[in-house]
Amino acid sequence: MKRAWLGLAVLAFGWAAVAQPCLVVGMIIGGTKDDAGYNQSQYEALMALKAKMPCVEILFAENVPAGEAEAVLENMILQGAKLLFPAGFAYMFPALNVAKRHPDVIFMHPGGYMLANNFGTYFSNVQFAYYLLGVAAGLMTKTNKLGFVGGMPTAFVLGNCNAFHLGARAVNPNVTTYFVVTGAWLDRAKEVAATQALIQQGCDVIGSHLDSPIALAQTCCEAGVFFVGYPSLAVQKFCPEYWLTGLGLTWGDFFVEIAQQVLAGTWKPAHIRRGLEAGFLTLGEFGPKVPEEVKRVVLEYKEKLARGELQPFAGPIRDQAGNVRIPEGTAWGPLDMGKFDWLAEGIVGSPK
Amino acid sequence: MNWFLSWISGAILYAAPILFPTLGEVVEQRTGMVNLGLEGLMLLGASVGFSVSFVTRNAWLGVLAAAGVGLVANLIYAGLVVHRRAHQLAAGLALMFFGIGMSALIGKPYVGQMAPGLPKYALAGSQSLLFRYDPLVYLAFLLAPLLWFLLFRTRFGLWLRAVGESPAIAYAAGVSPNAVRYFAAALAGTLAAVGGAHLSLGITGTWSEGMTAGRGFIAIALVIFSRWNPLRAIAGALLFGGAVVLQLQLQAQGVGISPFFLDMLPYVLTLLVLLVWGRGVRHVAPASLGRVYFGTE
Repeated sequence: MKRAWLGLAVLAFGWAAVAQPCLVVGMIIGGTKDDAGYNQSQYEALMALKAKMPCVEILFAENVPAGEAEAVLENMILQGAKLLFPAGFAYMFPALNVAKRHPDVIFMHPGGYMLANNFGTYFSNVQFAYYLLGVAAGLMTKTNKLGFVGGMPTAFVLGNCNAFHLGARAVNPNVTTYFVVTGAWLDRAKEVAATQALIQQGCDVIGSHLDSPIALAQTCCEAGVFFVGYPSLAVQKFCPEYWLTGLGLTWGDFFVEIAQQVLAGTWKPAHIRRGLEAGFLTLGEFGPKVPEEVKRVVLEYKEKLARGELQPFAGPIRDQAGNVRIPEGTAWGPLDMGKFDWLAEGIVGSPK
Repeated sequence: MNWFLSWISGAILYAAPILFPTLGEVVEQRTGMVNLGLEGLMLLGASVGFSVSFVTRNAWLGVLAAAGVGLVANLIYAGLVVHRRAHQLAAGLALMFFGIGMSALIGKPYVGQMAPGLPKYALAGSQSLLFRYDPLVYLAFLLAPLLWFLLFRTRFGLWLRAVGESPAIAYAAGVSPNAVRYFAAALAGTLAAVGGAHLSLGITGTWSEGMTAGRGFIAIALVIFSRWNPLRAIAGALLFGGAVVLQLQLQAQGVGISPFFLDMLPYVLTLLVLLVWGRGVRHVAPASLGRVYFGTE
């Protein structure tokens, strides 16, 4: 019996020696990995990294409150993590604290504005691509009324709503967009009520910026109005019939790039913001009710965007009060997206 | 006019999931028990209801299972405060945290899944999308007058209220305070869980952690607002449901009003009610509310 245990121990030790991972990568998220939204996007990128670099060992924790983030990250470092993704905006300062204590561990934070020697950030240029969803919506609407449900009235939410509206206006100058905020990133009952309020207002295409628009999709199905999906393409399955198209955050290849840089020792801290062209975003497939002509126009705009010929935020752009916010001859780029505190002319709703 | 109708229609729908726990808590507090665990019970109901509906492909089985789990969970609470004579507020908070954790555990595999929801039936004469509700909405509004009748027009209701005023005197009159309290707890647990299941199966068709978003606490506030009367609870729930829908509809029409301000409204109203009636002659809080009953020799 004793000998059997000994043999097992030797085997285990041998296996551990052989299966030494090339890199231990950790990630924490604030929600659940199957939310068909933001958290699922982060998790899928991590799984894509694992699939493309099998020698990587993955540590993963979900539902981590910001207040407990430091403890969980420290624990991952104890387990040998050398690359950490504190994958939620709220983790910025807790992760920065941990980063200061462990200069040999690399941190990549989504969407933040802080940098350190071992702390970089990444995100997709969502607002520019959201313009394409607006193009699709503008071509599909019959009532010329679009709806947009936001969680909180933050700059990025306002930017997405503006992009949605401007894209629709580019192909349909009669469009009005109605903007509603629920006051929470995840409150499904309120999301249903907000969607219903927009539908009763006459909106027949609904866009959104929420953690996970599952309930919104189901409400659209029930009422028979179209919707566009963001931030994960997984929401399509909740209402395939009235799905126009969507935008997914897809960072799998980028995570591989970062892991390789960390392994090679070439990683440098930076604010990395890329778009559709770099695979940081994926435009979803079109729904069954989208005519070929609409698909063609949307893809045309996508090509122009990729080639840099299309500037979604090129002036002149006026706000709701008619003041010029982006003057003629200038255009807002990726680093200006945090500056939105206004809604474009033709949007009904409050930016505060 | 169309706008007004859609507001009323929405207010009724969003009143229902809050009316269930409010009614249960009214009965429970009428027997002298404050239950701060409503939020946990609602979450348990939402999660169990959704999971069972997902597994059995039958939303009604989900509602039934939620009701059963709510009943059992609240009997644990009643066991603590009636039998073990635990502090009611502490036991209630423990129940709440238990419910939050347990619901997350049960619902974990069903996040981001689709389950059959409850069917919807139009209120007589309604052709449009408005005034179409699942049966639980009708049930909630039927239950309120039924519970009012039970509390104020039946002998059993008198017992319930007597236990809440003075368990010792009720005991002297031949009523078992403990049995009455267990009954009230069972009813309250069932109703709170059904309210939660209505959120996951009736309104949203999904489960997500913490999806009740504080509605369990609004219900407790509404009990005070309604001054322990099931009929006035309807008004309170409609007020809350109406505030949620009104705020979103106003936004959709370009009237800027802070969602955070309106979220605060039910609590402000409760504070006002306490201010106005708190020490008046019409103060109707059960005299033994929150007190431990040590039995009568």
